[in-house]
Amino acid sequence: MRDLNWYFPKSIAEAVDLVQQGKVFPHAGGTGLLSRGFTGINGLIDLSCLPLHYSKIENDSVEIGSMNTYAEAVSVLMKVDPEHIIVKSLCNSAKTPLRNRITIGGSIAYFPLWSDLMSALLALDADVMLIGKNDGQFPVEEYINNKEVRDKSLITAVKFNLSNWRSYHYRDIRTKSDYPAFNITILLKQSLNKIEDSRVIIVGTGKKYSRLTNIEEYLINRDVGKINIGEIEKLVEVKFAGKRIEDPEYSSYLAGVELGRGIEQILRGH
Amino acid sequence: MEGAFTVNGKNRKFTFTPDERLLFTLRENGYTEVKNGCQEGECGACLILLDDKPVNSCQVLTASAIGKNIKTVKRIGDLHSPHIIQRAFVETGAVQCGFCTPGMIIATYALLRDNPDPSEEEIKNALDGNLCRCTGYVKIIEAVKLAAKRMKIGVMEYWSTGVVE
Repeated sequence: MRDLNWYFPKSIAEAVDLVQQGKVFPHAGGTGLLSRGFTGINGLIDLSCLPLHYSKIENDSVEIGSMNTYAEAVSVLMKVDPEHIIVKSLCNSAKTPLRNRITIGGSIAYFPLWSDLMSALLALDADVMLIGKNDGQFPVEEYINNKEVRDKSLITAVKFNLSNWRSYHYRDIRTKSDYPAFNITILLKQSLNKIEDSRVIIVGTGKKYSRLTNIEEYLINRDVGKINIGEIEKLVEVKFAGKRIEDPEYSSYLAGVELGRGIEQILRGH
Repeated sequence: MEGAFTVNGKNRKFTFTPDERLLFTLRENGYTEVKNGCQEGECGACLILLDDKPVNSCQVLTASAIGKNIKTVKRIGDLHSPHIIQRAFVETGAVQCGFCTPGMIIATYALLRDNPDPSEEEIKNALDGNLCRCTGYVKIIEAVKLAAKRMKIGVMEYWSTGVVE
């Protein structure tokens, strides 16, 4: 039997104390933990009794508690914006039984290479609410890249806006049950015939994720009629790591093509 | 370690290791209707209702189920008193080797409880976590449609009393 202790805190404060011990990991849905394994983990903190299972929508600000599952987050957002990028990214992510188990907080903390959620959150400039060694609201990008921010802190919620982005989400899969080799999130804001703002994120690259700022710059302030999809495809330079699902060179080529298709679909509806 | 949870209406104490998956705890305690398939959350053979949500029991650590309510396919119906869904599966020929069937029944039960009149697309989406290597899915989808049709007739009675017909 493994030497692994389970803790069942009844309050967030109690859970935060446990996180401070180090080598004691929060357990949300547990699917990420099972995939990661228990190496280096001495204890697990069951978060299911904590008040982290909530959602709030005020004006255009959305706050989703970290213990909401993918299915629950989709259900919350479907009521206010069925076309929201989080809905698009999570509806096809994993499968129905897993979407009932994978939590928003667990998914952010684990951030697997096939994460559909993270490309959408990065594109939305979402914030992660933390409690513990680091209390407060942190950009999701900072949470990913700064180990100090993640250290001994518990994710309590994620926050983002219901902005009027037009959006597209693509998962590179061979069959519906596949893990995606990569996924793309595109957000565009259009004013009359011009692109006002854009976000382009690819998750699954060699650096885990890439923000394609050169594509964003190409798009911003450009007349919609003067957007050349062929040019965009050529601008895509994404490096994928060694062969995980597909050949890296093929993935890169495919990412360019799919990104072009995505932009075309947003702009022209096909 | 030890912990209690409710399975098919009976609350009982179970003994398990801290890293044990619910699939194995259930099977080792006689709930062999929960099938051991891929152990990766891909096939859906081990589907159960955990607090009324269909989940892969192979992807649930047993300790995290303490205090929760679990239903296996036997809670829905058995040989002596099959559920409308189970009858529909038999009648349409949606069962061949039968290994995937408990999971299919659980997924269908959860779907029809939340959406009594699903479209074919909604059926496919709800059953997207259940693999069948025998039937080619056509008969399974037919079975779900037949069950939905029959349940609609007595739906109010069924969901309020748990008794069919």
